[in-house]
Amino acid sequence: MIRYVLRRLLLAVPTLFGIIVIVFLLVHLAPGSPVSGGGEALRRPTGRAAEELRRLYGLDRPLPERFGAWFSRAARFDLGESFVDRRPVGERIREALPNTLFLNGLALALALSIAIPLGVVAGGRPEGAFDRLSGAALFALYSTPTFWAALLLQSIFAVQLRWLPLYGVASDPAPAGLAGLVDRLAHAALPATCLAYGTLAFVARLVRSGVAETREADFVLAARARGASRRRALWTHAFPNAVLPLLTLFGLLLPALLSGSVIVERIFAWPGLGRLYFDSILSRDYPVILGLSLLSAVATLAATLASDIAAAAADPRVRDGASP
Amino acid sequence: MVTALVVAAACRARPEAAPPRAELDLIRTPTRASAAPEEGGEGAPADGGTLTRRLVGEPTTLNAVLQSSLPEAQVLQLVQRNLFDFDARLTLSPGLAAGMEISPDGRTYVVALRPEAVWEDGRPVTSADAIFTIRKVADPAVPAPVFQSLFDGLESVEALDPRRFRVVFREAYAFREMAFVLPLLPAHRFAGKDFQAAADNRAPLANGPYRLVAWKSGVSVELERNPAYWGPRGHFDRVVFRILPDNTTAYRLLLAGELDEDQIDATLKSRAQADPRFSECCRLVEFYTLDWSYVALNNRSPLFADARVRRALTMLSDRAAAAKDLYRGSARVISGPWSPDSPAYDASIPPLPFDPAAAKALLDEAGWRDSNGNGTRDREGREFEFELLIPGGFETGRQVAEMLAAELARAGVTARVRTMEWAAFIQRVDGGEFEAASLAWSAVDPNPDPYPYWHSSQCPPDGLNAGCYRNAEADRLMVEARRELDASRRDALFHRLHRLFRDDAPVIFLVNSTQKFGLDRGVRGVTTSPLGLSGIWPGPIGWWEAPGPSPQIVGKPAA
Repeated sequence: MIRYVLRRLLLAVPTLFGIIVIVFLLVHLAPGSPVSGGGEALRRPTGRAAEELRRLYGLDRPLPERFGAWFSRAARFDLGESFVDRRPVGERIREALPNTLFLNGLALALALSIAIPLGVVAGGRPEGAFDRLSGAALFALYSTPTFWAALLLQSIFAVQLRWLPLYGVASDPAPAGLAGLVDRLAHAALPATCLAYGTLAFVARLVRSGVAETREADFVLAARARGASRRRALWTHAFPNAVLPLLTLFGLLLPALLSGSVIVERIFAWPGLGRLYFDSILSRDYPVILGLSLLSAVATLAATLASDIAAAAADPRVRDGASP
Repeated sequence: MVTALVVAAACRARPEAAPPRAELDLIRTPTRASAAPEEGGEGAPADGGTLTRRLVGEPTTLNAVLQSSLPEAQVLQLVQRNLFDFDARLTLSPGLAAGMEISPDGRTYVVALRPEAVWEDGRPVTSADAIFTIRKVADPAVPAPVFQSLFDGLESVEALDPRRFRVVFREAYAFREMAFVLPLLPAHRFAGKDFQAAADNRAPLANGPYRLVAWKSGVSVELERNPAYWGPRGHFDRVVFRILPDNTTAYRLLLAGELDEDQIDATLKSRAQADPRFSECCRLVEFYTLDWSYVALNNRSPLFADARVRRALTMLSDRAAAAKDLYRGSARVISGPWSPDSPAYDASIPPLPFDPAAAKALLDEAGWRDSNGNGTRDREGREFEFELLIPGGFETGRQVAEMLAAELARAGVTARVRTMEWAAFIQRVDGGEFEAASLAWSAVDPNPDPYPYWHSSQCPPDGLNAGCYRNAEADRLMVEARRELDASRRDALFHRLHRLFRDDAPVIFLVNSTQKFGLDRGVRGVTTSPLGLSGIWPGPIGWWEAPGPSPQIVGKPAA
């Protein structure tokens, strides 16, 4: 087992390196330059001033040299300074990270807490009235564009009913203690809903098909034959077995916690990683783009590694290299 | 905002107690009509309350020398005064400076600072601060895009005493005064620090009416009255800038009374005019600025090297229809490279007419005929086909480009409209690597000097004459104008240049369009200007809040 984990860990290193090299090349070869600034720039430096800026950013040096410099710093956990405001990249990421984690965590919790019961009930009676109805509704939900939903939710709950705040992470000034938490949750309600409904639809259908399959399995039928109620057979026998593919899916959902949503964060003026990423791309802030890419690459690799190791722990055939 | 090909300096100022010195030769700047002060009948200003304004993006720095974008200028205007400022009529008025003496040869400037001007920490604003700031601006290793070019040809800068300093330039320049629309940095706070990473860049020391309370990344910048401020105080106790990248969200906050000011586009203006909730809470303020738009043509391309062809393209562009239908009446057709409100603009020069028949004749004359019968004109084996680049996210600009392309197609010219992301777009434009591109000029100061944008020495990659327009007569007039220190003689040169530009059509001159703002009805004392609402002094400092619950006043939008 330990040998297996070590092998996977060692394999992750070249993968990570490959990702970094590709991102580095893409970022630097894309058209546009960090020197011109964004669309709101009052005046763009040209000629000598532009040259000085390029020198300051180190863009006058050859690409391999720039990569070497960046990599040797990154290897020491130093992501360099943002071109835009000269602050450490790590500091900018640390500012935005809690906002994105909070929002995405909430959205994921919201999605799962609704999707699982919905999927189990629908899967319990496939092709029944509830299954058909919820299926249609979930497909509609899944194909609803986020920006549209966001504006609609804002319009109903923030503008007309005035139940929830329109934007931002917290009131200003933010109340203290429990009221503060309630305030933050109220602010997160609409954006979290926007982020949740797509996942919700997806997970609900996944659970539904799993349950629909296992409810026919021998052990569920046997439970029913032994006198277990339909509900009990469904929840304690069918569901735990149907949920296994969901655990694998978690490996994919986890890194998504770190990747902010550009659209939702923009509409709700939510200062998270998505907006930081987007703004950095627009202004060609290479160090920030690279830092954020590194973060999501590490998160993805870590999550994949974790789910592989979990699978290996559960199934000896995986770690022994035999085909299952 | 479309594209910003901008002349220098951010702008702030206030006509205060001490009048400019008698010998002070202030710029006789650009005003013709459109400085539209006060909206009238608003009663006496009241103090107190919080003004909530919008920033479309996060400021990247609050170091006044390093500032490069609009959100930064909007915040800094309230925190740090300039030596001089433009007022609503675009006349220079003293700020941190009490006055300025200019030598007869126009090379030497002696500036006297106000004795009462102090920093937030109680220290006086001194010549040492001015010298430190000017040296930083002029240092090629410091990115100071807003101010740097105005200090080109700086010979020396030295203190005469703690309150007076002298700046000497190698040669006279007609618009040099604009260099003194300059904020100062506190030299004592930067001593021994890395200028570009100093803590002050996020927490500037105030010498203006407000000081920084908090800057929450991605959320807001909050200001409160600066108790140490030496001039007439602002009316609001606090000013909060909310960072709101999305237009619709900002508009909704305006309706909800959570935002007092929001610049809106043509689409939102139509929506506001039809929205009873808008007229209940807010009013629309619309006015012409110095901004104008055009289609740049690369004069180096064999397609556009001939002035007859460029003129024909202008005459194929139905600018009046665009102003009426696409800009919804909020635009005027222009015939030269200035707003009609600039004194450089000669209003007696009409734009080239929209005349497809005459345009086709011009194209024929220039040798562009459809010789192979494929529907597109050609000459010497080259088809008249080109790419018209537009930056993404600007709906009206895209519509104008599509309309032009349709009009051109009818005349046998193929223009393929291609939308590009801003950074990629502007790299092509600045590098001169384009055939045609839709651009707008957004002015931060009233400097009409055409030299950096039209002189043949300013072609890419080093200059801003992106289409590389070259005309010996125009070159001569431009050089002469920037040396001419007499305003009326200079305007006469600009008017000759204007006529030349109209006939030579280096680009397709389109329109001068308006800026539109939604303002909470409770906000009073708003002055419009050709530089916008906040590009002038006092600008937002002169605003105040009418007592009583603001959103309930009934009435119709001001516009």
